[in-house]
Amino acid sequence: MKTVLLAPLDPVHDNAIKLIQRRLAEAGYEAISMPPGTTPEEVVQKALVHNADTILVSRTLGYKVGEILSQLVDLAEAAGVRDQTRLGVGGMAITKEIGTELGFDGCFVGELKMEEVIAFIENRASISTDGADSPNLRKKPDITGGYTYEFFDPVIEKLLDQISTQAIDWVGTKTTDGIERAKIRTAMLENEGSASEREKLLEQYLRYCDADIQAFYRSRHLPSGVRWLEQSEIDGVSNLFNTSHENFGSLRHVGSKPLFFSQYGTGCPVMDVLHIKVAEAWGIDGVFHFDPSWNAQREGLLEGYLTHEHDGTIITLENLKFIHHFLEPYTLWNVRGHRGLNTPETQVLGHAAGADLFKINIPYGSTGGGTDPARLTVDGIYSLMLASQYGIPFDIPGNDELSGVPPYKTFAGILIMMALGLKLGARPIPKPLLCYSPYMTIYGRMDDNMIDMNLAKLAVWRDIVDTPLWPGEPVGFMTHTPDRVQSALQTSLHATLASTMGADAVTIASSDEAYSKGPISVQARVDTLRAVKDQLRFQGSVKATLSPEAELIKEEIHEKITETLQAVAERGDFVASIYEGLLGSKEDGLYPGRVGAGTVRG
Amino acid sequence: MMTKALDRVVDAIDIETFLYCKSEDEAKELAESLANELHLPHGDIVFLEFKAWGARVRIRSYIHHPGDHYRWMETQEEK
Repeated sequence: MKTVLLAPLDPVHDNAIKLIQRRLAEAGYEAISMPPGTTPEEVVQKALVHNADTILVSRTLGYKVGEILSQLVDLAEAAGVRDQTRLGVGGMAITKEIGTELGFDGCFVGELKMEEVIAFIENRASISTDGADSPNLRKKPDITGGYTYEFFDPVIEKLLDQISTQAIDWVGTKTTDGIERAKIRTAMLENEGSASEREKLLEQYLRYCDADIQAFYRSRHLPSGVRWLEQSEIDGVSNLFNTSHENFGSLRHVGSKPLFFSQYGTGCPVMDVLHIKVAEAWGIDGVFHFDPSWNAQREGLLEGYLTHEHDGTIITLENLKFIHHFLEPYTLWNVRGHRGLNTPETQVLGHAAGADLFKINIPYGSTGGGTDPARLTVDGIYSLMLASQYGIPFDIPGNDELSGVPPYKTFAGILIMMALGLKLGARPIPKPLLCYSPYMTIYGRMDDNMIDMNLAKLAVWRDIVDTPLWPGEPVGFMTHTPDRVQSALQTSLHATLASTMGADAVTIASSDEAYSKGPISVQARVDTLRAVKDQLRFQGSVKATLSPEAELIKEEIHEKITETLQAVAERGDFVASIYEGLLGSKEDGLYPGRVGAGTVRG
Repeated sequence: MMTKALDRVVDAIDIETFLYCKSEDEAKELAESLANELHLPHGDIVFLEFKAWGARVRIRSYIHHPGDHYRWMETQEEK
């Protein structure tokens, strides 16, 4: 058994010494501690008496730190202690430079890592085990695993069956340019080796594209502001990240969920890779690909390695594959699927590039500045069939709440998407939005606190269906300000609230969420990740209990979801229900999308 | 005369950034160099966390220490 002498060379602070003593004792060492205010002379005397194998001293106060520590080193050498004893130092006042300069064998700065302390005592290289789920042990999780999708509310189940059956029947054999392109793109992927076949298929593909997309393929005319990535840039990223690295821990303090996701889409695949790699290093479990809004408003997608200086990274197979190549093996990758006129083709490319998840919500995507409801219903249902065929789960964001829609209407839309997906063999993941939405502010529903409403919005799902839950997108929407501390705090509070309700995944923002004049910075990502990690540490395995007020809100939402679904079922036409505002009206602040109106055939 | 904005800094300027680097030691060197390149006197690293590809860092430079003659007070008096 090795003997370790622990001494605080500090008049007050000995917490770390006590903690290390306990942990070393648990690990089988003889750990002897000395009281605060111990002098260097007393440390050396004690080490001689106990024949210590290791001396670990700490110093919190910066005052005279160099003088005291160098005195200890000198005394230890003069007494011959250093011949058989390793000397280590740590504490708030210590930097690696000080430790090395003064001649210590080991120096511990920052967060206490016992594996490093023990490696030092044993005189071997440290093996990082930062977090229980290190990459070697971390597996790519299945968010839908273990859920049966059994409905606990038979009334809602029956209404959803009625609505989803009608919607699928209505779509029937209808088609769109988007669906035709998806079919051709699939054939192109299957015939990648044949140049002549590709030429033939490309000609077919271009028949279903807008003029500017045709111009791109025929004359390599790039859209305004877009440029090709240079080969040196592509190779450069590989050189940066094709190196081994320490194991990355997760954000979680206890348990294996929730998983944490963040979005990327800086406009440049190179910058995206850097953002993703940093987010992974600081504990993220999954990422979303966000593309520019014009990607959704043109018939046809581009190809090649493309970059631009605007929000959202252009969807091409090459860009997607490039980004995917750099992901850690356990990182989940979601390619936002409901991309307006290119919705079906986005699923095809996402699947070809290795996507783990899609994102499809017809009612949300076909409102506001989005796609025409009829067009997105036809394309969306085809996309759900693709998700089913590929075996890729799809998540259903409830961000129409941000337009002013009350949560019960948003949730009714999400439930319809769930029913459509399940009927077509896909695995849905609802995403109730934890936010301070216009509906809440206008009607004063969160005037007192932000907990009751958000808890109720999560709890109501547990009463309706056995499903995974993934609050997003991101949590805390409309609570953030451009101040990074406030923003990171709000995200961490919302994220841990979701965690206390047993959420399976959570989408988190960066602390630049409310900054709109430029791209998200890397430090803004790190700050939020650090805040969430600390908040999870604070919370541990504590679970939330609904207050009487939250219970009432939950019951109210449940009742109104049923009423909304009844109205849609009675209307007997899912698409007309969106046009007519049953899932979000003009009075709520929602308008049917217009992009692609009149383009459904059959 | 226009007063310098730097004179109005009550005590310190913090630079919050993320540096691409290969090690914590390199991060520290870069952080110190950054303060010099920005002509910030006596740059101190308040916080630095390195992981794999880079470091989140806060670099601080004190413009006025407690006990200094505070230029933000002098400029107010001139006004």
